Amino acid sequence: MNTLKHITILFILLTSSITFAQVKFETKVSKTKFGVNERLRIDFVMNKDGDNFNPPDFANFTVVAGPNTSVSNSWLNGKHSYSKTYSYFLAPKRKGKIKINSATIEIGKNIFKTKAVTVEVTNAVKRPNDPDNVEGVASESIHLVAEVSKTDPYLNEAITVVYKLYVSTDIGVSNWREVDNPRYNDFWSQKIDVKGLRIQNGKYKGKDYRYVVLKKAVLYPQKSGKLEIEPLTLDLTVEVPTRRKNIFGGRHMAEVNRTVSAGSRTLNVKPLPEKGQPDDFTGAVGDFKFNVITSKSELNASESLQARVEVIGKGNLKLFELPKLTLPSSLEVYEPEHNENVRTNLGGMQGSISDNYTIIPQYRGKYPIPSVSFSYFDLQTETYKRVSSGEIIIDVIEGPINNSSGDDNLAIADSNKKGITLNSDQFAFVKTEANLQPILKNNFFKSAGFWSSLLVPFLVIPLAMFYRKKRDERNADVFGNKIRKADRLAKRYLSEAKKSLGNKEAFYIALEKALHNYLKAKLRIETSDFSKEKIEEILIERQVDEPTVIEFISILEHCELARYTPITNVEMQQDYEKAASTISIIDKEIK
Amino acid sequence: MMKHLIYILTFLISTLSFAQNETVFEQANTLYNEGKFDDALEKYKAVLETEQHSAALYFNMANAHYKLNHIAPSIYFYEKALLLKPNDKDIKNNIAYARNMTIDDIEIVPEVGFSRLIKTVTNTMSFDNWAKTAVGLVVFFVVLFMVYYFSYSTSKKRFAFVSSLACLLLVFVALAFAFHKYKLADNNRPAIVFAKEAQIKSEPNLRSSEAFKLHEGTKVQVLDTVSNWKKIKLSDGKTGWVASIDIKMVKNF
Repeated sequence: MNTLKHITILFILLTSSITFAQVKFETKVSKTKFGVNERLRIDFVMNKDGDNFNPPDFANFTVVAGPNTSVSNSWLNGKHSYSKTYSYFLAPKRKGKIKINSATIEIGKNIFKTKAVTVEVTNAVKRPNDPDNVEGVASESIHLVAEVSKTDPYLNEAITVVYKLYVSTDIGVSNWREVDNPRYNDFWSQKIDVKGLRIQNGKYKGKDYRYVVLKKAVLYPQKSGKLEIEPLTLDLTVEVPTRRKNIFGGRHMAEVNRTVSAGSRTLNVKPLPEKGQPDDFTGAVGDFKFNVITSKSELNASESLQARVEVIGKGNLKLFELPKLTLPSSLEVYEPEHNENVRTNLGGMQGSISDNYTIIPQYRGKYPIPSVSFSYFDLQTETYKRVSSGEIIIDVIEGPINNSSGDDNLAIADSNKKGITLNSDQFAFVKTEANLQPILKNNFFKSAGFWSSLLVPFLVIPLAMFYRKKRDERNADVFGNKIRKADRLAKRYLSEAKKSLGNKEAFYIALEKALHNYLKAKLRIETSDFSKEKIEEILIERQVDEPTVIEFISILEHCELARYTPITNVEMQQDYEKAASTISIIDKEIK
Repeated sequence: MMKHLIYILTFLISTLSFAQNETVFEQANTLYNEGKFDDALEKYKAVLETEQHSAALYFNMANAHYKLNHIAPSIYFYEKALLLKPNDKDIKNNIAYARNMTIDDIEIVPEVGFSRLIKTVTNTMSFDNWAKTAVGLVVFFVVLFMVYYFSYSTSKKRFAFVSSLACLLLVFVALAFAFHKYKLADNNRPAIVFAKEAQIKSEPNLRSSEAFKLHEGTKVQVLDTVSNWKKIKLSDGKTGWVASIDIKMVKNF
C-alpha cells in the first residue's frame, strides 16, 4: 500500500514536470537596482501563445510606455521555438524596495502565473543612463538658458531677457517648436525680433557649446516685489549619434524628442524710493530731457500757435504721462495730439514722446504759459530729478480786447469794427496825476457829523414855527404895534434928541433937527424950503390929517420957543413923546 | 504859542512829505516809461509806505507788475485801484489784459431783474456820497418846507408842499441806498489767489478732501476765517476753504 502511494506521487510529479517543461511564462526586469530618475523595463515572456494576459498593477510606477507586444517564431534545425513578450517601461514613483506582483495568463486551459519580483529604487543617479542611452545624451547636451540682465531692477527700469539654446557640439537639432510662450505678467514687455538664427560658439559651464539666441525681450517691471518670469519651453527634435553604424559606415543618428525648459527666474524688483519723490512724478524712470516749445511767441489773435511738450531720452517712455500744459482760460486750446517716436532695443526704449497743443488766442494781450515741470527717476544717480520748462509768454499783438469774462462777444466785435474806439483798447499808460490821499480815511457815513447834519436841518422847522407864532402875536397886537412903530421911528430920528434929554438947549436943537431930518427923508424937502407954511402945505397935499399937521407945526414952534423959555425936564420928556407919536401918525397917514 | 508852533511845523512837514511823494511818483512814472518796471515799482512802493494811496498809484503799480508778467500782483493792484475808483475806464481796460493771463475760467452768475437794478443804482455812488446826498436832500426839504410855511399864495404853497414831501421821500431812499451800499461794501471782501496753484478744501483742515483747484490771479470773496483758513466764494457760487497764505486780501485799508 505504502509503495503504491509512493509510485502514484512519483508519477504525478513526473507528468507535471513534463507539462512544466512545455509552458514557460516568466518576468524579466532590466535591472533590479536603479535610481529614481531611471527607468525600468519589464518583460513578460512566454513560449506559448496565451489569452487574457493580465499585467500586475504597477502601483508604484508610472507606465511610461507599453504594453508593447512582440512575437518571434523561429525554426532551428527542425526545432520550432516561439516566444511572445509583453514589455513595459516604468518610471518609479518612490524610492525603496518595490514589489512587482505576478502577472497571469491563460494558456490552453490553464492559468499561469509569474513570480513576483522585487526591485530596489535608489536615490537619483547622476547619469541616469549610460552614454549609449539616447535620451540621456540628449538631456546632457542641450540646455535652454534665460539670461536676465539685472535681477534686482528698480520699478520701471528696463531689463532684458535673452533666451539662448546651448547645443553640444556632437549632437544636432533638426527641429524646434515653442510649447509654452512665456507671458510676462506684471511687466511691460517688448519682444525684440531675432532675425535668423545665427549659430555662435560659446561656453556653458566651462564646456564648449554652440548656441543660438532664440528670443530677446525688454521688460519693464510694473510692480515691486518678487516677480517671476515664466519659463520658456521648447520641444526639440534632437539627433543623437549612436554606436550603430549604417551600411555606409557612418554613425546612425537616433532621433529623440525632447522638451527643454529655461526654468523660471525670479526678480526682486525694488520700489522707487519714497524719499524725495516730487509731487509731479508720474513714473518716468530713465534719463530724459524735457522741453516746452512754442512755434511762435508773437502773433495776432485768431492765428494758431503750436505748443509742444516733449520728453526726449532713454527710459520707460511709453509708460508715463506727459505733464499737461495749464493755459490761461482766455486761450482757445484743442486736445493735444500725442506723438511717439520710440525705438526699442536691448537697451530699452529710446526716442521722444510729445504732446502737441494747438492754441488760438482770441483776444489781445499777454498770455503766460506757466512753467511746467517734469520729474523722473535717474537710475544712474538713483535720485529724482526735476526739469522745469520755464515760463513762456505769448504776446498777442492785434485783436479784440477781452472786456470782461462775460460772454458779451457781440460788444467786442462791435468795438473792433470802429476804428476810433480801437485807441481805447490799447493797454493804458500809467496815470500821471497822483491824487494822493491818506490811506486812513474816516467815513462820513455813520459819523457824528453825518447824523447831526442829517437831523439839524429838521430843527429849523420848529424854530420857524416859533418865529411865525411870535410874529403873528405881534401883528395881532395893534396898540403895541403902534408903540413899537413910534419907538422905532423915534429911535431912528430922535435918538440924538433923546441923548441930550435934560439939556434944554441941545435937546430942542436936536429935536428940531430930527423933525427936519424926518421930513427931509420922508418928503424930500430941500433945507432951503423949510418954512412952516411950506411944510403944512406939503403935508396936507400928502393927505395928512389937519390936526396932525397942526400938532407937528406946534411942536416945531415949541422947539423954537423953548430955547428962550424955562422948561422943566418933565416938559422936555412930554415934548419928546409928542414928537415921537406925531411922527408915527404922520408916517401912517402919509401917502 | 509853543502849541501853535508845533501845529504849523507838523503841517509844514506833512505838506513837505506830500510834495516829496508827488516827485517820487513822477520819478516812478519816468522809470516806467523807460521800461525799468522794477525800479518804478520800488518807487511806487515807497510812496505807498508813507500811508498815502490813490487809484492812480495802484493802477500804475498794477501796470508795472503786468509788464513784468506778475499775474497775481497785477490783478491785485488793479482790484485795489478799482475799489477806489470803481468806474475808471483805464483800470477796467487794463484789468481785462491782466485777467487774460489767469488760468481759471470762472463764470459770473448774472443777477437779473429787480435785484440787478437795485445793485446798479446802489453802485452808482459810494456810501459817503449817498450820505451826502441824503443830507443835501434834507436841507432842500427844510427850505421847501419853509417856503410852504411862509408863502401866502395857494399855488406856491401847494407846489412847495408837494416838492418838500418828495424831497423827504428821497431822503429816505438815499439813506436806504447808503445803508445798502455800506453793507455791500462791508461784505465785499475780495482776495486774489497768489499761490501758483491753491487747493481748495471742503473743510478748514489738511485732512479734508480737495474740492477744486484755483490758480494764480483768480479773484475770490472771503466769507469767513478760521485760524489759518479762509472760506472763499467764487463768482459762480462755489465755496471752499483755502489756506490763508495762498490768497491776499485786496481790502486792507
